[in-house]
Amino acid sequence: MIAVLKRLASIRLTLLWMALLGIGAALSYDNPVDTPVWVLVVPLALLGVNLLAAIITNTRINRRGGLLIFHVALLGIVVLAAFGRLTHMEAHIELVEGMGFMPERLINVRQGPLHSGRLDQVHFIQGPYTVEYRPGMVRGLTHSHVLIPDGAGGWERKVVGDDRPLILEGYRFYTTFNKGFAAVLTWMPDGGQPETGTIHMPSYPLFEFRQANRWTPAGASEEIKFWLQLETGIDPEGAWVLDARKSRGTLVVRTGGQRVELQPGGTVRLDQGVLRYDGLSSWMGYKLYYDPTLQWLFITSMLGVLGLGIHFWKKFANHPWPQPDDGGKRSERDASRGGKAIIEEGRVI
Amino acid sequence: MEDKMVAEMPWLYTALTAYALATFVAIMGVARTRGGAAGAAVSRSYEPLVLGLITAGVVLFVISLAERWIRIGHGPFVNLFELLVSQLFSLGLVYAVAYWRLPVIRPSAIVVMPMMWVLGLWVLTLEPVASVYPPTYHNKWLWAHVGFGKFFLAFCLIGSGIAGIILLRKLPRLVPLFRTLPPDEVLDHVAWRFMLLALIFDSLMLIAGAVWAQDAWGRYWAWDALETSSFLNWLMLGAAIHARLTYRIPVHVGAIAIIAIFVFAFFTYFGTPFYSEAAHKGVI
Repeated sequence: MIAVLKRLASIRLTLLWMALLGIGAALSYDNPVDTPVWVLVVPLALLGVNLLAAIITNTRINRRGGLLIFHVALLGIVVLAAFGRLTHMEAHIELVEGMGFMPERLINVRQGPLHSGRLDQVHFIQGPYTVEYRPGMVRGLTHSHVLIPDGAGGWERKVVGDDRPLILEGYRFYTTFNKGFAAVLTWMPDGGQPETGTIHMPSYPLFEFRQANRWTPAGASEEIKFWLQLETGIDPEGAWVLDARKSRGTLVVRTGGQRVELQPGGTVRLDQGVLRYDGLSSWMGYKLYYDPTLQWLFITSMLGVLGLGIHFWKKFANHPWPQPDDGGKRSERDASRGGKAIIEEGRVI
Repeated sequence: MEDKMVAEMPWLYTALTAYALATFVAIMGVARTRGGAAGAAVSRSYEPLVLGLITAGVVLFVISLAERWIRIGHGPFVNLFELLVSQLFSLGLVYAVAYWRLPVIRPSAIVVMPMMWVLGLWVLTLEPVASVYPPTYHNKWLWAHVGFGKFFLAFCLIGSGIAGIILLRKLPRLVPLFRTLPPDEVLDHVAWRFMLLALIFDSLMLIAGAVWAQDAWGRYWAWDALETSSFLNWLMLGAAIHARLTYRIPVHVGAIAIIAIFVFAFFTYFGTPFYSEAAHKGVI
């Protein structure tokens, strides 16, 4: 058994698997769709086996505390990263101001086969947001206001944005450049119950001149085309702040040959009912990320570097830096102390 | 085009002049010791002057960076011009400290300083245009990531400087220049020590970068240009150290490996802008 482990722990295999991992990494550059994940998984698994065998059998590793910590940490990182991919979740969601988070509204969902987070326990309400723009339409800081449960039956205000995600139940919500306006509409069908909802317009200011969308009410035969004429204070040449609370929007409604411009509160009579434009709102696009191993990955990798640091510290303390006039004297000195001389023993660093 | 004579430029030119003088004095100083025998006590009177000039250059780069910071409102983290000036400062600082504390590496100045001049000449070809600071750069992990990276590159540079001497000594005409230095085996030992230090700081740079990327772009690793390249660099360094510790690699082969690692690191830092729209995916 030990003989097999020693073979598996061979340094030649280490170098070979490292080279294989290097090729896998190069092939994975920019995540090309035609590159399978196995180009990384296979060399990582082989390196994991090689590393485990080395930790068990190689006394140059397992009898040196710092080096042992480093190699165990490397193995830990591989295992954690693999577990992270199996349990992770990524998705996107667009939330309108005043709307609560609803898992069923997630789009572009990608998750590992073992994902079992508590997404149903995530509650927050989207509030208003501001985005700063510098001259030349260069996006600056985003401040997105959200309400989260305060644990006492109330709500607590929180501001997130850019590199400050909202973290709930391990799920991390990041604001994105994808945000814009929405028209709040109430559809009052003839003889039916009124229904209020929103029509999201494309991302703003990216699609400043394409603030349009379409919708067909339930039971209606004809599609309604919407176009939102916005007044946001946009200034391509100067600094400005995108703030839906300070913006105004006129909704242009076109259907069945008629064109009507609606101000907030305005209505239009259509074939099957009445449509009311309640007002302008905004939506924020979030990226959702979940990986239960994140903290452990950080702790493990820092422990690994700490182990390596301890090992080198001891090594350097045992073999001080050579001096300029060190010819062969130094190696003789080291040899006489029973240590490994630099010149005779090329493997000592 | 921005005015070339913006606030930071006079300081930059003066700093580069100080580095150029340090290079000249170092080369002249090593040339003067060519008659000495191995291990003999030789005059090293030029060394304090080299150290003084490098230190002066570092201080002048600090002033240049500070002037630019005041002018554009953020640190040197975005465009190639400011990255190069920042590296000239940090490489000089780490090298000056090593030069001061470790006399054995001092002759490496004749290799290290010309390497820095590659950056110096490059920066002179660039316009000092103001860069736009991305919102995701308002993060303390950026500082840790960049700081560790600077140490990594500096240790690789010093290792390469020593490795360069090992290789230069192979040329018969240059042998007398380095006769007073310790044997190749001792230089090899010192050079690899710097590569061990480089491995620690390379690892720290990757960790800090991953934490920053998680905050900034919602993922800790995405195989973008810089991530892929820096991971390959880490693998290369790890493999080289494993090989060096396990096998009796000829000293000159080890020296070539060290220089190859530095060159790869150099292209990771400064080559990325040539094949990627932004250093990191999502940065713009």
